[in-house]
Amino acid sequence: MTSIERSVRTWIASGRENEIESVVNAISNGEATLLDVVKALGEFLTAEEDDVRNKGVELLSQVVNQLPSDKLNRQAVRVLVTFMCEKLDDTETIIPALKALKALVSKDAFTSSDAVEVANALFRHVKMKVLVQAQRFVVYGIIDGLVARHRDALINMGPDFVSGYIKLAEGEKDPRNLLLAFAIARVLLIEFDTAKYIEDLFNITFCYFPITFRPPPDDPYGITTEDLKEALRGCLNATPAFGPMAIPLFLEKITAGSPATKRDTLQTLDICLPVCGSSVAKDHARKLWNTFRLEIFQPTDVETENMALNTTQVLVRTIYQTHGTEIVQDEEIEGLAKDVCEECLKILKEPEKNQAKHAIKVMCAFVSTTPSVAKFTLSQAVPHLVQLFLNPDEIQNRSATLKLLADLIDAVRESVIVTTADEEKSAALSPYKDEVLGVFTVGLKTVASCGHALEGLKAMVLTPHLLVDEELGFVVHNINEVLTNEETQNDEDISDSILDLLTTVSSISSRHVSQTTLPLLFSSLPDQAPARDAEADRLKYWHTLSFLKRLCLQSDLFEMLVIRLSTKLDLICVPASSTIADSDHEPTAAYAHSILRTLADTLARKVELGHTDVSKYSDRLVPRLYNLHFYSTLVSNGDYLVATDPRLISVSAEIVTLVIQTALVGKQETFVKNLFGAYFDGKPGTLAEGQHKLPGEKPFAPFSPDATSLQKNLVVLFSAALVPLHKEVALPVPNESKVLETLVHWTIQYADNVLQREAAEHSVAAILNKRADSVADFLSSKVDLFWADQAERIDLPLEHRRKAISLWIWITKGLLVRGHSLAQRFANRLFDLFGDASVSWDAARAIGEIARQDKILTKKNHAVVKFLFAQRFANSMLPKIIDGVKSSSDPNRQNAFLVALTSLIKSIPKSAYIHEMFSLLPLLLRGLELPDHNIRANVIDTLLSVADPSSKLPTIAEHANSLVSTMLKNSIAKKMPSTRVRIAALQYLATLPSIVRYDVLHPQRALVLRELAGALDDPKRAVRKEAVEARTVWFKYTG
Amino acid sequence: MEVFNPNPTIFVPTKSRHAQFAKPHSLWLNDPDSEQDTDEDDSDEVEQIDQDEIFDLIRSISDPEHRSMTLEQLAVVSAPQITFNSKVPDRVTVEFTPTVPHCGMSTFIGLSIRVRLLRSLPERYKIDIRVKPGSHESEHALNKQLNDKERVAAALENPALLEVLEQCLSTAGRST
Repeated sequence: MTSIERSVRTWIASGRENEIESVVNAISNGEATLLDVVKALGEFLTAEEDDVRNKGVELLSQVVNQLPSDKLNRQAVRVLVTFMCEKLDDTETIIPALKALKALVSKDAFTSSDAVEVANALFRHVKMKVLVQAQRFVVYGIIDGLVARHRDALINMGPDFVSGYIKLAEGEKDPRNLLLAFAIARVLLIEFDTAKYIEDLFNITFCYFPITFRPPPDDPYGITTEDLKEALRGCLNATPAFGPMAIPLFLEKITAGSPATKRDTLQTLDICLPVCGSSVAKDHARKLWNTFRLEIFQPTDVETENMALNTTQVLVRTIYQTHGTEIVQDEEIEGLAKDVCEECLKILKEPEKNQAKHAIKVMCAFVSTTPSVAKFTLSQAVPHLVQLFLNPDEIQNRSATLKLLADLIDAVRESVIVTTADEEKSAALSPYKDEVLGVFTVGLKTVASCGHALEGLKAMVLTPHLLVDEELGFVVHNINEVLTNEETQNDEDISDSILDLLTTVSSISSRHVSQTTLPLLFSSLPDQAPARDAEADRLKYWHTLSFLKRLCLQSDLFEMLVIRLSTKLDLICVPASSTIADSDHEPTAAYAHSILRTLADTLARKVELGHTDVSKYSDRLVPRLYNLHFYSTLVSNGDYLVATDPRLISVSAEIVTLVIQTALVGKQETFVKNLFGAYFDGKPGTLAEGQHKLPGEKPFAPFSPDATSLQKNLVVLFSAALVPLHKEVALPVPNESKVLETLVHWTIQYADNVLQREAAEHSVAAILNKRADSVADFLSSKVDLFWADQAERIDLPLEHRRKAISLWIWITKGLLVRGHSLAQRFANRLFDLFGDASVSWDAARAIGEIARQDKILTKKNHAVVKFLFAQRFANSMLPKIIDGVKSSSDPNRQNAFLVALTSLIKSIPKSAYIHEMFSLLPLLLRGLELPDHNIRANVIDTLLSVADPSSKLPTIAEHANSLVSTMLKNSIAKKMPSTRVRIAALQYLATLPSIVRYDVLHPQRALVLRELAGALDDPKRAVRKEAVEARTVWFKYTG
Repeated sequence: MEVFNPNPTIFVPTKSRHAQFAKPHSLWLNDPDSEQDTDEDDSDEVEQIDQDEIFDLIRSISDPEHRSMTLEQLAVVSAPQITFNSKVPDRVTVEFTPTVPHCGMSTFIGLSIRVRLLRSLPERYKIDIRVKPGSHESEHALNKQLNDKERVAAALENPALLEVLEQCLSTAGRST
């Protein structure tokens, strides 16, 4: 017995994979031939027993399947094809035979004549209805292979193939098979002569439309509804011949289907209509439009409405698209487009009505169809709307008319006609340009229509090449008039739109805005602050400033803003004549503050937008501000000068920080030299160059122990410049540790107020963060000394120790943010104070403060920020705190740990503690009992931030009842004086129903509704609003 | 369902309270960075419920016939149509204007206003809801029906009616 025979017999008996492999290997190596296999199989292939025969064919099939293509010669394929085709007739062998054929189809030696033979055999013998899905899949696979590799031969078979396939494919239901069947059908429809069978093909494809298949959960085959839809659409739009049959079917689906079906049908129509062609579309135009109209004018939802509009566009394009012959300019538009336009115009006669909104949408859609239709539509709609506007009887509807016109202009601007160049877009509008511009400018004059007029003007300005420079000037001129109009000035919507339009204009050409609008605005700013009781005047300059703030972002406009406002600032702060010596200074200071605020806000926005021109103001604006504040401080003999006001200094500090932030390292190095020269060497001249001459006789030394409080305030401006330095910028002193020592000492001993102290703290943090390696001296010895001397000494006054703790926060923070190893040790020291009742809460709060996000140590300020530093900190602190609460028996210590927990949790990202929620929640609930309002509000805020409706935490549900009663207690004004807590508690009550299962919470419903009725009568409006919100939620909470 | 007014006129909604530059009676511009909680807590000043606040409660209720539009957009309700009784401050009259005089939805609109206020105003308030004089053909019957406690309660027992009502009210909290 040969090895082949042995393998064959063993396989028949056992079905072991290895045997097939060894047979295949033997043939591949040339040790045996396929003929040997057939010989060995001989008796099995022709056996009387069904089972044995099946096995015989199966083996042959598997061998063929695994043999490489080049091992099968023409002869072998020929014989095998014939053999297997015969075996299709035998119900016992059909299945392995199909598999073998599928393998054979892909072999190189398989020829076109084989293809015809296989196709015929399939059509003759295979009854799809008796096969299961996997077997039918093989049949589709064979046909797919045939169609892919031997298409011409099959085309030559003529109608036999098409009709044969139709019979096979009829009634298929399985999505896996359908994907293949659709692909085959598409090829048939495109490449085969299907004229005679078009109706049958229509039946075997359109019967699946619309696809309603939903994949089962965990579908192992990964076939989505979208896959099927795509494949089917490929068939539906494969031939224009479907058109006349398909359109009525589509229309029926749109009219009677669900919203999803409607959308599917509309999308399918979008791709089918262009294939159907102009004449079919024309024949059905009326019916199609009637259906679309319903979807547009009485829309079920916005999405469907937009799709219907889109399909209408496709329809119009299909009808009127004439390839390349669009040159005929005066082409008469007949048929659908004309009818629809007329229909819409009729509706537009009542512009204020709801239907007009829809009608204009249709017309806007037409603008993006074909150039000739667009032109026709505009020629109908624009004059109509212009006339309507000018009609004195329609004067009350002007606003609505302008809105429609503005929409239309905007549609032209956005028009997506592929062939339309920018010039053509403007060309479409230019015949009506003057009258439309006229109508919009008239519309500007009335408050009611002003907003829409601005909208329309913006659309015009944005349409490329439509308006010439002169006309832009005309637009700006007209807006300037609106700007000065009292009536429109106070309307926020209008001033927003004006701003939007002016920014748009200035992005095209800033000349008009900078030459007419800005002077107008600047001149409306008074030279002297309005008196205390002139509230209207104050409001006016606020309006102007807020307008300027948003308008002057562009570099040339901003430059103008800086020049004009800093001049104004000098004028206000240092008036030429001191006639107002005894008068009220506060309004003046407030005015100067507003101007500084405007500069700061504009700069902040520019930094956010990444404007590069900010850095140049380190030479212009910044010295001027130093000059102003230094001068005022030095000349003041204790009397109040506006620029010495700490509120002004704070805003100037913001400006300094923003500008120095953007300066390069080299620039910063020079700057910091001047800064230290001024603050430590008493030479303020270089830093504060400017208009006012600093009086030389008075010493400038804000850090000296005997400095006046006014001078000490100027430390704020020192810190402002120090905070945004790059880490490469060394402090211009021999020993940087000494600077830190000075600052630390000054903060505790000499600083007079919170402002000064905070400024110094920020400097300390910034230096430690960026220069940690250069201040080893300070870190190794001085810090420990500071802690022992200032914070731990219980004999020191409470105030003093609090200052020390506050500074400690910033020392630790600077190190923590850069991931310095000492940070953790420093933070742990705070726990040592928990037993000390006088400062325990301060120390506890400090733990949260250390991790809190601040505005000082940020990437923008070039701080060294270690990735996920807050998470690391939380991971090490949280267990200690939780343990602390549990292990300490002293209620004071316990409370301190609770305070630390609430403070820390508020500072760190949710992801850092959410996994601990199970153990944290009981502690947080205890935190809610603490008498401090801020802590309570923080706890509720934390609870709110972990409330996630998508994952209903069982922990929350466990405590649901106590949460409800606690929140109710905190939401009633009589029991809880803090507005913030009441608002937070009400918000949490409103959230609870979405995060706790109904069966757990619903017993509380009646109680909550009753209690909340009281909250509705809260003295504060903001609280009442939340109460209404929460109560509504609970009313609707019915399972 | 019968359509009473297929093509209603749309009105531009008014803006609710303006953003402010400064706290009341302050000379100083607000600092954008300052935390909000400072101005919430401190004062003991009582802010009375006013016309605007009640209007805010009902302006965004959806119209039962045109669900995508609010009562305000159709000018069914407006702030001036809400009046306080000068003698009894807790007595409020809310007037509304049906879009057409034969509007069969008027009762429903009135009911939705009633329910919204019932849920959102303190219990001490007594609300009268009526249609604008001359704006509806069965004005008297309508007013009577809307202010009859028993009939309002009975209407709310009807689950189908309640469902539509909740749908119309679901937009009420949304600010425009």
